[in-house]
Amino acid sequence: MRFTRSLGAALALTHLMAAYSAPAPAPATGLADSEALRATVYGAPPQDLAALPARVPLEEVNIALPWARPLPAVLWFDRRLRAWFSAQRGAAPLAIVISGTGADGNTTNISLLRGALYGAGYHVLTIPSPTFPGFIAAASSTGVAGDLEQDSRDVYAVAREIVRRLRPKVEITEIDILGYSLGGAHAAVVKWLDASQHELGIRRAVMINPPVSLFDSMERLDQLFASSIGQGDEGFDQLYRRVYVRLANYYRASDQVRVEDTNLMGAAAAVLRTDADFSAAIALTFRIALVNVFYTGDLYAGTGVISDPRHPPQPDDATEAVFRELLGKDFSHYFDQVFAPYYLARRPGMTREALYASSRLDLIGAALQADPDYYAQTNADDLILDEAELEWLRARLGSRIVVYPHGGHLGNLGERRQVADMLDMLGGRWAGAAR
Amino acid sequence: MRSRRAATLLLVSLALGGCATGDFAVRTLPPETPAADVTAALQAQQQREAASPIVPAAGSGLGPPLTDADVPSMRTYDPWERMNRSIYRFNARFDEAIFLPVADQYRRLPQPVRSGVHNFFSNLSEVVSFINYTAQLRLAPGVRSLGRFIINSTLGLGGLFDVATSMHIPGVRTGLGQTLARWGVHPGPYFVMPFLGPSTLRDSFGFVADYGTNYTINLGGLYQGTVGWVLTPLNVVDLRANTSFRYYSTGSPFEYDTVRFLYVRRTLIEDEALRWWHRAGKPAPEAPAGQ
Repeated sequence: MRFTRSLGAALALTHLMAAYSAPAPAPATGLADSEALRATVYGAPPQDLAALPARVPLEEVNIALPWARPLPAVLWFDRRLRAWFSAQRGAAPLAIVISGTGADGNTTNISLLRGALYGAGYHVLTIPSPTFPGFIAAASSTGVAGDLEQDSRDVYAVAREIVRRLRPKVEITEIDILGYSLGGAHAAVVKWLDASQHELGIRRAVMINPPVSLFDSMERLDQLFASSIGQGDEGFDQLYRRVYVRLANYYRASDQVRVEDTNLMGAAAAVLRTDADFSAAIALTFRIALVNVFYTGDLYAGTGVISDPRHPPQPDDATEAVFRELLGKDFSHYFDQVFAPYYLARRPGMTREALYASSRLDLIGAALQADPDYYAQTNADDLILDEAELEWLRARLGSRIVVYPHGGHLGNLGERRQVADMLDMLGGRWAGAAR
Repeated sequence: MRSRRAATLLLVSLALGGCATGDFAVRTLPPETPAADVTAALQAQQQREAASPIVPAAGSGLGPPLTDADVPSMRTYDPWERMNRSIYRFNARFDEAIFLPVADQYRRLPQPVRSGVHNFFSNLSEVVSFINYTAQLRLAPGVRSLGRFIINSTLGLGGLFDVATSMHIPGVRTGLGQTLARWGVHPGPYFVMPFLGPSTLRDSFGFVADYGTNYTINLGGLYQGTVGWVLTPLNVVDLRANTSFRYYSTGSPFEYDTVRFLYVRRTLIEDEALRWWHRAGKPAPEAPAGQ
């Protein structure tokens, strides 16, 4: 794999085409690593977290965006985009944070980042991923998520719109942007867009565990799904039975009969034991995100794979069968049946291979190399990267990337070291990993 | 009648006061408390590490551990799906327009006042819990419930302070739904209760009956007449203000399915822990869960 990196852009493209036609991209670095899987599922243990403030004020921002596409009946509740804002009392820099694949702007990871950033004196605005169904419906100009540049344009427009509304209320001295997972890639592309449009004047960008090739990362997670859960209903059913039995026995054995309202998922995570369990949990999380992207994409693009465009689904229709059907579809199905048909029809001269390749951070490779205000944090055992991609990031960012030895995908987010480094990067104090 | 009108007026004006309309709206949420959350997570972790083993020990009186064959279908028994879905939608709209704005306004009250209100209603709920624990023949938690009620009603100044919890007697609510479960009644069809949300036929019945019990006992005259018209809405607002659930926060077209799946599995897992005897018959594998 390593040699491809040293070849030119043309050859890299050939390599990508090969990767696309071949059944699978190179395996990720941490997929077979117990520690990486465990860290990815559980996140940083509480004793390792950075110091967080006692109190972080929080406002929910609801905004209707003029460029949104007409709202399908089944998504009636997604008319306005929801974002979250924490204001400092006086003048302060603003940190914009973008969520990872399929996630809302108010996740556990977001809470950790918000706490750390607010504690360091930033106003904090957190925005859902453009792959979150609420974003796709309320703020996407296409409704078909997954295109790195187009999605980032939508995020940029949302950020502009919200900041414009916030400016009269809060004093913003400077704007920085960061994101985790897929949101890391979006953050960097948003800064790149802003460098030519100058609407926000974004100063620095930090990518936390970003993908290099969005689609290759998705396919790695599909492999993980295939190997840990399998195809069709049976594998999924087995996983469900395994978790159910363990949970039920756990509650029977404990004195506690009330299962805490919000915590069934947390309780389920607590009974995972083997690498196969962890792999399945990770794969399933991403697959559920893909289910939403697939469903909304098909609906907006009118491709008719799931929803008949002539008879659009209604809010009271049963959806369980559709959900289960979609659970069995992987990213290549989405790319072939929804994404590629939609974008190829709108971009004359574009080929499937070029479309696939355009999801890579190569889009902003030159900027990453030349502009000293891009930073990245990742882990040597991140599940969504392979060696070559890690090398690609190192080659572009040089001393502006820090690669921690462990943590899997986001498993060290919020840890002391990660937070201290992130704040140094964002504040322009970063002196390189070897301090 | 006057008091009822006053209560309605109060609710409506509160709702309008906090109502968010237009293309841009900002809602103030309760502040996050990350430092305290980390401390709580640490404590929970320590408790888990000290907790009992995951599979019951042989001879623990619980019968053999569950096996794969005991697991209910992934499909859920929901014969009233169309109606349920429209109630779910109604609830979401009601929540957005009335419930949440009122809860937001309520949260402006000082924290000690709100926890006083919360403790007060929690304490009253011990009455129904005690009755049901007794009906479940579960003496230890019943005695705990009764003890909590006595301690908090006296030392806790009529329930305004939760002294019992600080004496390491935590409260665990129960109700008629769980009593029925203990005696082998199945949850029945999934049912979305108007205003209140996900439930099952059995548990909805239990909820209404529990309220009826409170109303009939009318402890301290708190449930009937003018006092009842003031306290019952306050109870509901306190409940909403302390529930973080947000309709459609998943943004997903499959939220109804997700909530139904998780809610019914949670109920069934609780039932497994509650049931008086080890179930003899296995569920038919093709029967949807809850039937």
